[in-house]
Amino acid sequence: LAELLNTCNTEQLVFVSNYISPRLKRDFLKDLPIEISLHILSFIDDPRTLSRASSVSKFWRSLLNDDYTWKNLCARHHYYFHNKRCNSNSNNSSSLLLESSNSNSRCVRFSYKDHFRRRYVVESNWKNGGRTLKTHISPDSGVVTSLQMCENFIVVGMDNKKIHVFGASNGRYVKTLTGHEGGVWALQYFDEILVSGGCDRDVRVWNLITGQCKHVLHGHTSTVRSLKMKNSKIAVSGSRDTTLRIWDIEEGRMLHLLAGHQASVRCIEIYENLIVSGSYDCTARVWDMSTGQCLHVLQGHFSQIYSIAFDGQKIVTGSLDATARVWSAQTGRCLGVLQGHTSLVGQMQLHESTLVTGGSDGAIRIWDLETNQCVHRIAAHDNSVTCLQFDDKRIVSGGNDGHVKLWDVQTGSFIRELTTQGNAVWRLAFNDTKAVILLQRESKTVMEVLDFDECDHLSVECDDTWN
Amino acid sequence: MTTGKIKLTSSEGTEFVIDKDVGEKSILLKNMLEDVGENDMAIPLPNVTGPILTKVIEYCTHHRDDPVITQDDDSKKTSDDIDEWDSEFCKVDQGTLFELILAANYLDIKPLLDLTCKTVANMIKGKSPEEIRKTFNITNDFTPEEEMQVKHENEWCEERTT
Repeated sequence: LAELLNTCNTEQLVFVSNYISPRLKRDFLKDLPIEISLHILSFIDDPRTLSRASSVSKFWRSLLNDDYTWKNLCARHHYYFHNKRCNSNSNNSSSLLLESSNSNSRCVRFSYKDHFRRRYVVESNWKNGGRTLKTHISPDSGVVTSLQMCENFIVVGMDNKKIHVFGASNGRYVKTLTGHEGGVWALQYFDEILVSGGCDRDVRVWNLITGQCKHVLHGHTSTVRSLKMKNSKIAVSGSRDTTLRIWDIEEGRMLHLLAGHQASVRCIEIYENLIVSGSYDCTARVWDMSTGQCLHVLQGHFSQIYSIAFDGQKIVTGSLDATARVWSAQTGRCLGVLQGHTSLVGQMQLHESTLVTGGSDGAIRIWDLETNQCVHRIAAHDNSVTCLQFDDKRIVSGGNDGHVKLWDVQTGSFIRELTTQGNAVWRLAFNDTKAVILLQRESKTVMEVLDFDECDHLSVECDDTWN
Repeated sequence: MTTGKIKLTSSEGTEFVIDKDVGEKSILLKNMLEDVGENDMAIPLPNVTGPILTKVIEYCTHHRDDPVITQDDDSKKTSDDIDEWDSEFCKVDQGTLFELILAANYLDIKPLLDLTCKTVANMIKGKSPEEIRKTFNITNDFTPEEEMQVKHENEWCEERTT
């Protein structure tokens, strides 16, 4: 054969080469056993390559429609299914992404490819797309004190005594709950039950569907500054009168009065049967919800406590002394002092071993609670961080500088601004596909609902007024 | 570490004598040796040709001291972590690579299977459908209508990753 080739001229050799080289090629994915083909595809993490590969041939298309590859890709991109219940005020309110699409089409077979596609579109919309679903502009300039967004409603508490309710799916105004005689400073809802408290010292229990006020709970002798619900039956309030009160909100009566703090109770978190409270007396306390007993007094901060996070095991407190402290809920011992902020640690959220704190120094810090080390320090805002929330992928923060910024929670890097700058950002909340932002812009109170889901470029509704 | 030798026979009947620890990179051989015990009978490998077995032995010899990876984290799977020796090793024609994948799978040598599969993955990555077809000599068997449909199905990816 070699001799034969030696006698060939260039033209003939090119012919031979062109004749042979395709024959040396193999359609790997088609000719290999399918499990090996899928194994090959499992090394490709770029969805564009995969989708392009599906246009190669009929066989490749059928292989690439195999859910194994997409399941893999979902895992790789951390596109898990969120099943978390939304039950805390502006924290962890991530909702089930596929809920809306799946609940009305339960007979349709679930496909990881579709799931991936949707999540991928949502992700890229977060990065550089999305739309303003709804904008509400208040005629007056009330200060927004509290916000919660879950599956059904967006509820906004104002210092002008009002509570506004909006639909979570479309951002439309639903109703205003009036009755409080002073500014509303704390609220939470669970299913259709809303509990609120504020300057008039009362805790009110509402039915969100009917808008009816079910109970007015008297007892506190000063402003109710914090409020948490265990479920739709039990709520805990903390007040400037130094006490906490546990309420049966179904019956409308007080179950326990928790006395011990020496100054205003600023923040509360609850987990199952435990309540933790942070106070201006520089201590935090752990309480048993069923007996009302104080289990631990957490002493160590040198100044007032403004923020608290609790996952059932670890308690984190943020203080005006510019530190955050990590405590064991079981023993009450201090497990670590997180130093780095240069002023008040007013914002925090804890999820698994990740803690994110926001300070009046304008910084956001991402901590690993396995080691109590600061993983990332972000110079986020020119002024105080007024609100923040994070999930597996991102942090959204708002500041007194009027900016709303999106960050990568893994790297701490800046992604983009989510809206036009205002004068100050009051509150924000987001879930997988939506974000709601309350800010002051041109001395009006503005609420924006942003949507990052797939969209067919629907017209943007805006500028309707709410009172 | 045992210093024993084992004998293997390729599909053509060629005999290979290799160190036992090199052979034990193959889970198939390792299990066989455990079952059979000390024995100087040649192990027949009717699915593997001599040239391919030579390559496999070359790989196992180079990696004889590698730690055994028991758990693999699927979320960290990537084809961008191939070292220089491995990437040189995989610079072979597609037929050989194909046979190597089959041999690695048959002999149950996970790192070699991963390496060869990664190599193929890298041949696919970042390519247009036409480039992929050319790379592997695949005929486009879509009708024009089907092609439009597939293109439409994949739009979500294309317009966004710029």
